[in-house]
Amino acid sequence: MTEITEGVVTGGWPNVIAAYTITAAGLLVYAWSLVSRLRRFEEKE
Amino acid sequence: MKKFAWEHWVGILGLALLFVGSYVGLVVAPPERYMGDVQRIMYVHVPSAWTAMVCYTAAFVAAIVSLWTGRRRWDAALVGMIETGMVFNALLLCQGSLWGRATWGVWWDWDVRLTTSLVMLLLFTGVLALRSFVEDAEQRASWSAIAAIVSYVDVPLVYFCVRWWRSLHQVQSSPETVDPLMVFPLRTNAIALVLVAIWLIARRARLELRRRQHEEVGEPERREPIHD
Amino acid sequence: MAEVSSMPPQDVRESRPGLVRTLVTQTWTILRKDLLLEWRGRSRMVSVVLFGTVTLVLFSFAVGPDSTALRAGAAGFLVLALLLSSTLSLSESFRFEQEQRALEGLLLLPVDAIALFYGKALASTLFLCLLAPILVPIALVLYSVEMEPMALARLLLVWGLAAAGLTAPGTLYAAMTSRLRSQDVLLPILLFPLVIPVLLGSVKAMALILLGDPMSQLWSWTLLLATFDLVYWILCGMLLFSHAIEE
Repeated sequence: MTEITEGVVTGGWPNVIAAYTITAAGLLVYAWSLVSRLRRFEEKE
Repeated sequence: MKKFAWEHWVGILGLALLFVGSYVGLVVAPPERYMGDVQRIMYVHVPSAWTAMVCYTAAFVAAIVSLWTGRRRWDAALVGMIETGMVFNALLLCQGSLWGRATWGVWWDWDVRLTTSLVMLLLFTGVLALRSFVEDAEQRASWSAIAAIVSYVDVPLVYFCVRWWRSLHQVQSSPETVDPLMVFPLRTNAIALVLVAIWLIARRARLELRRRQHEEVGEPERREPIHD
Repeated sequence: MAEVSSMPPQDVRESRPGLVRTLVTQTWTILRKDLLLEWRGRSRMVSVVLFGTVTLVLFSFAVGPDSTALRAGAAGFLVLALLLSSTLSLSESFRFEQEQRALEGLLLLPVDAIALFYGKALASTLFLCLLAPILVPIALVLYSVEMEPMALARLLLVWGLAAAGLTAPGTLYAAMTSRLRSQDVLLPILLFPLVIPVLLGSVKAMALILLGDPMSQLWSWTLLLATFDLVYWILCGMLLFSHAIEE
């Protein structure tokens, strides 16, 4: 966890990693859902 | 041979820039004076916020044009812009909460900008909810445009309102970003995410147009292009 | 319903037959019709008042018999009661038209969509204002709030502004959702996030009136409310409503 000593935040890397991971995951999931749904339409044609 | 859609180029460029910007942000940039390494969340958080606002603003414009012209491509664009905006909106709330946990010690603090973002997410979720209940395509298009316009106009009102509401309680803490090694990942990721958003919007818009075609035509084998 | 102003041939300025006058007349007619219908079905009105009262009592139970906490939250509870009551009355405002298919009838007549909006929105606002003389005294008693009579006028003004802020987008959304299946859940989903500025503004303003205003902030909050009202009464009525009701 983060510690705040003398006005400086130390640690906090888990939050950073979590933030970047969630961002990447969120974008990937949405992108994948679009790609697969479009592909289903293209297969029908 | 299928044509390589224009948005794929945009998406690839965006992805590349995102890798570069994030690498610099995570590894190369120095820790911030007071916030230390937690600052690095800003290199996705601020760009996500900008991108969400860009998407919603584009949706606002698309809504007006959709209402004005009635052409389905603008309704398709509207859906793409709102959904993509909501994705970035949701992401920025998660990032902001993680950042807040590290610096304020709590997951939620009614920070002005995060609170406004939460309300934005609720507003535009409502627009999509409305869409799901309307069966007639044209009515769906004009009603969601109306709801999108009404919702977007609300955003500055909500912002100022919450700001006054909070003004006695909170000092706005903005991270310093003066070091050029900090400006670079911020700008790069901002451009990157906007490009990625364009790809997402274009894909979602195409999906919406296909769906609407199939809705009307019924049989998937019928391939007469419905020009719009 | 459309008035044709007879004009002397030499009076070129009056070539457009009283457009504003026509709209005002139509608005007034619709307002009267809606108020009359409300009065005829006044058991409905009574039910909404009762609903508001029950809500106020529920808040007491939710918070507990702590008069300090209740007094501090009194403004919030009042505004929430207003908000919840408004969804009931708004979803009603187009139910008449839905049931009798009267909306199509209205549109066949030369009734301008603008007049329809303002007539209905004004009727809804007046109806919500009628809740105040009943709900406010109840709240003052339940939440142990002392208030001087002069402050009552200011409170009613804020109440009126809040009601107007709810009814403008509310009438627009009610017109749309009244034709959908899940109207009773869609209207709140759409309306509640939208009227957060009304909620915040009116709660702050009422709290200042009820509990004291040492730094004279009341004016800013009232101005915020009035701005919201102005923006949405123009946006919804003039620009958007006609699109909402066209077939």
